[in-house]
Amino acid sequence: MMTSQLRRTFSFLRAGTGPPLQAWTASRCLFLDSGSSSSDVGLVLQSQSTDVHQNLALEDWIDAHVDLQQRHILLLWRNRPAVVIGRHQNPWSECNLPAMRRAGIPLARRRSGGGTVFHDLGNLNLTFFASKKGYDRRRNLKVVTEALRRLGLDARATDRLDILLNGHYKISGTASRLSRKSSYHHCTLLHSADRSALSAVLRPSCPGVQSNATASVPSPVTNLVEHAPWLRWEQLLDAVLQQYNAEFGLSSASVLVNPADESEFPGLGSMAAELRSWDWTFGKTPKFSVETLLELRDEQLSARCSAQLHMEVRSGLVERCRLGVPAEWLPLGLSRQLSEVLLGERFCPHRAAAAVTALLLSESGPLNGRLQNLSEALLAAMG
Amino acid sequence: MLSHSRCLTRNFGRSISAIRQGNNVLARRATAALSASHPTTFNSNVKYDPRSNVFQIQYFRTSSAYRDEVVTVKTPAFAESVTEGDVRWEKAVGDTVSEDEVVCEIETDKTSVQVPSPAAGVIEELLVPDGGKVEGGTPLFKLRKGAGAPKAAEAPKADAPAAAAPPPPSAAPPNPPPPPSAVGPIPTAMPPVPPVPAHAMDSKPVSAIKPTAAPSAPAAHADGGVKAARTESRVKMNRMRLRIAQRLKEAQNTCAMLTTFNEVDMSNISEMRKTYKDAFLKKHNIKLGFMSAFVKAAAYALADQPAVNAVIDDTTKEIVYREYVDISVAVATPKGLVVPVIRNVEGMNFTDIEKAINLLGEKARKNELAVEDMDGGTFTISNGGVFGSMFGTPIINPPQSAILGMHGIFDRPVAIGGKVEIRPMMYVALTYDHRLIDGREAVTFLRRIKSVVEDPRVLLLDM
Repeated sequence: MMTSQLRRTFSFLRAGTGPPLQAWTASRCLFLDSGSSSSDVGLVLQSQSTDVHQNLALEDWIDAHVDLQQRHILLLWRNRPAVVIGRHQNPWSECNLPAMRRAGIPLARRRSGGGTVFHDLGNLNLTFFASKKGYDRRRNLKVVTEALRRLGLDARATDRLDILLNGHYKISGTASRLSRKSSYHHCTLLHSADRSALSAVLRPSCPGVQSNATASVPSPVTNLVEHAPWLRWEQLLDAVLQQYNAEFGLSSASVLVNPADESEFPGLGSMAAELRSWDWTFGKTPKFSVETLLELRDEQLSARCSAQLHMEVRSGLVERCRLGVPAEWLPLGLSRQLSEVLLGERFCPHRAAAAVTALLLSESGPLNGRLQNLSEALLAAMG
Repeated sequence: MLSHSRCLTRNFGRSISAIRQGNNVLARRATAALSASHPTTFNSNVKYDPRSNVFQIQYFRTSSAYRDEVVTVKTPAFAESVTEGDVRWEKAVGDTVSEDEVVCEIETDKTSVQVPSPAAGVIEELLVPDGGKVEGGTPLFKLRKGAGAPKAAEAPKADAPAAAAPPPPSAAPPNPPPPPSAVGPIPTAMPPVPPVPAHAMDSKPVSAIKPTAAPSAPAAHADGGVKAARTESRVKMNRMRLRIAQRLKEAQNTCAMLTTFNEVDMSNISEMRKTYKDAFLKKHNIKLGFMSAFVKAAAYALADQPAVNAVIDDTTKEIVYREYVDISVAVATPKGLVVPVIRNVEGMNFTDIEKAINLLGEKARKNELAVEDMDGGTFTISNGGVFGSMFGTPIINPPQSAILGMHGIFDRPVAIGGKVEIRPMMYVALTYDHRLIDGREAVTFLRRIKSVVEDPRVLLLDM
């Protein structure tokens, strides 16, 4: 840590695009010129948090509040297991929400584009902050590939800005965001992630989802430790840091930052809260429809039948719902009531369960069993 | 001429606003054009006097600055030789945006690019559908420049005439009129404020023109005086709420509902809890609360009074007696009230009940309650005490016949053995369906609950 060098009073430099902040009088001055003579200054930060929403908020905070016109910043971070989807993706088609709920793996939607990734403590995230003019993703990826090459690994960046190991396995994916004056480009790097967990959660929640949301492109992945078992986490971080300094002509050591510290990062807490909200995570899904068949059965009579389900979901809320249940299975009025009770509700099995129960409680009778079975099939189709 | 126009001020209010809207073209042409393209702005009661309009036109000729401009915003060039991207709209047609506010995001090659608005105004048209592909330079959307109309709080300040003259269809839809200061009761000079959005003009009342005539005075007062927002907002009831409302009303209409009360001395049960709570927590890993006592007491009393556990089937006109006791416990979650069910309580002891309640609470918190967790139930217990309620009448949860309402525990002076003592007391209420349960049964039932909670040894001795 460079605290001794940087412990002085200061005024911080802001890009001026974020909301006005009170004077930042923390004891550490991170974003003051470190006195380097080169025209571009740089900084390497390492986040102490392993909370995915806090770290994403930290990226947004730096993007909004730090003047990036003349400086480059590299942020290194990692998260406890989480699934991160791109800004314009559909979580129901990208990841298995019920499995994630059971395993306690949270979902986060980042502000940059791109596809879905699985984060855990064996995955290193690198975020390269620069001005819009200084936005150069290939140069950033070169930092990573050169660092790996120096460690004796064959890593190459593709046209799609993935990094492949030995020309075949994907070890890194990229995404970025261009704001009005600044930019950030972040990528993952699989050091020692849990691949079985990864494949378990990165599959669709429910069948029949049709949308024009950005789709992920699945690729075979591998971990660095599977090819270089001797490679420790600290070594990897060090190699990347050295290469970053070399590439951008800097000489900074990495500084630990704690995004939970409100005095250092005022307003970060509320940014993280926004990222955690249902309205952001699920409500920002582009409009999509669900078209599937429900298999119904009546245990008492050992009978079966199929029903069609068509739903349209906008902003995460059910806009239209049509259930095509054969009239002899269940009266048309009842199936219509069931579809109507879901309108305007979140496309979420919990909310739907509450709404459906209200209907079930008022329809007691011989059809209750079939109605309940239909409800359960419907909820299962919602992930 | 002056006096003549003054007399007709009231009528000209609307025609003048219409003229302003026409961007300072000469009166006749403007009004003719307006009546052609904005028929809705003209109130049919307006008396139209061309002579006075000409006078007013001279008056307004100074306001050439307030013209509305529609600009077409194009897709920005993409970085790094990327050719095309998908558009995702953040704003919709009719939304007011400020300068630099993000209107849409374009996803190109894993990059999300923000497209800000070049100026403040109102979105007029979106030229690409959501998810559509664009290249650098493709026209994206049309923006009608103008001082962004302020928040909805300003809306009520435009009074009666606003209702009479709805905004023309071609201008941006439901934006509120500008603040009164912009077009307040100013006698002779044009108000030196930023341009006013076109559509709002017609909604401005007479006070904009001359403050002399009587009608302008109340409008001026209304404009100047009202600072607080008196808005209403309408939110459509969602289906779940509609359904619940319907069910509750049905219950109220079919059941003959009434409530009987009693009070419970919580000293013994509090003392039992205090003595055992640490050991309980250690052994069972959950906290010992009061709900288990009431749930068990209810189960015991229900076994004793089967009518309270039964229900009337209105369709077949039968009374359905149930051998099992499923107690629904009302739980308030951040998302609303949920009523999960504890099944077969008659066979459980306090510990089993606490575990079941805990499990259901966890599931509710993690949003994992399934339909079968909330279905059925023969009796409900609702705890208003957690919110501090002292006394109240719960409403029956159909299709059941009774509901027990617990309230807050408060220290009260009570008479014990001829002396006044302070005891922690709780009022309990039992709302029941009188068609099925008689007064005597209901009171006995409640007294049984009271005796169990006041002295749990009653359960052991089956008293």
